[in-house]
Amino acid sequence: MRRTLIPFALLFACHAHAANQPRAPGIETPGYVWNKADPETTKALLHKGDAARGKEAYRVCRGCHKQDGSGLVNGDYPQLAGQLSSVLIKQMADMRAGRRDNSKMHPFVGMDLVLTDDLADIAAFLNGLPPPPQIGKGDGKRLERGKELYKKDCAFCHGKNGEGNAKWFYPKVSQQHYRYLLRQIQEIREQGRRNSNPDMIEAAKDYSDRDLEAVSDYMSRLPEAQE
Amino acid sequence: MRFRVRHFTKAALVLGFGLACAASAAPGKGDAAKGAALAAQSCSSCHGPDGNSAVAAFPKLAGQQEQYLAREMKDFKEGRRESEVMAPFLVSLNDQDLADLAAFYAKQKPAAAKGGDAALIKAGKKLYLEGNSKSGVPSCDGCHEEDGTGSKKFPRVAGQHVDYILEQMRLYAAGKRKNGVKVMLTVAERLTEQETRAVSEYMASME
Repeated sequence: MRRTLIPFALLFACHAHAANQPRAPGIETPGYVWNKADPETTKALLHKGDAARGKEAYRVCRGCHKQDGSGLVNGDYPQLAGQLSSVLIKQMADMRAGRRDNSKMHPFVGMDLVLTDDLADIAAFLNGLPPPPQIGKGDGKRLERGKELYKKDCAFCHGKNGEGNAKWFYPKVSQQHYRYLLRQIQEIREQGRRNSNPDMIEAAKDYSDRDLEAVSDYMSRLPEAQE
Repeated sequence: MRFRVRHFTKAALVLGFGLACAASAAPGKGDAAKGAALAAQSCSSCHGPDGNSAVAAFPKLAGQQEQYLAREMKDFKEGRRESEVMAPFLVSLNDQDLADLAAFYAKQKPAAAKGGDAALIKAGKKLYLEGNSKSGVPSCDGCHEEDGTGSKKFPRVAGQHVDYILEQMRLYAAGKRKNGVKVMLTVAERLTEQETRAVSEYMASME
């Protein structure tokens, strides 16, 4: 049976059978409006998130983000425990709609498994989780520079302790893995993260790689580094 | 005996009914005693008297998740999951019969797993518990649980025949098993041949 099926599998190996992620207009499109209201995000935001239901719906996420939401310390998967609900809902809805490109994750937030209300329930579950014991950090060599940059460019929106702002959909950046933070700001700077806030692109556009590393390292040590 | 699956010919049907099938998965309350009688009549010659099939081409059903069993049988019967072998056995059964069968098999005790290739099992265990973040393969325990027993939405994989798991993975990777949830199409497509074989061996070895 195996022998007859292997060539068969190879024949189809180059075909993508899982539904491809759609592509919605983003930062590259003239007239782009960040966080423009869309029906799914609105419906999920209006749904009162139920953490117990969210824990069930989250099963399909655990294979990558882990039961405790901690993702991977090497930053391949972000840490989600304690993230703001509005931020989680927006990002998940953006991936479903193709405003944020993530072909790796997209199949796992498909409508066959995750309904619109589930987004709010999953967000409520994650928001209520305590921060995990281990967070990936940078080399710690330029934390003073990181702090200076953070205070100058980041703290106004993301909060001096990195707590984010739920009302404005600004993510919590404390207790996040260094490598993930760094990859995201690099993508934002290079306009590869298509659902970016133009204010973020403006803030990051003149950053050198070394400064992005310094500020990411500092953020990964918040809130303790603030004191 | 070969578990043959016809070419995928009902794309529109599958797409159109994909969500309906997920919604209709919840069975009526199954009666395991009635299910036992039905099983003895129609199923046991392939799947074994207690669902611990002895033949690798026929999946073990003992201890399988009740909702999963009911959904798969309905999907076989109605053509969403294609099988020339299964459909004729199910065509005369109604939803209650399927619920009864599901209740019966879910209650059976899975037989202890037999040993396999130790090196493959070890590699498979690592993948099962950690996934592969570089290729975007989640760990299997997220959905199928650490002990492989599954949950309401996801099937039991512990102790299943290696050949059956491999065949399902090939069908998923080739886009030929599209009933139920779709994430396995992605997972199977992202796994390498070695990973697929290793994780199948590990699943088969789980008790």
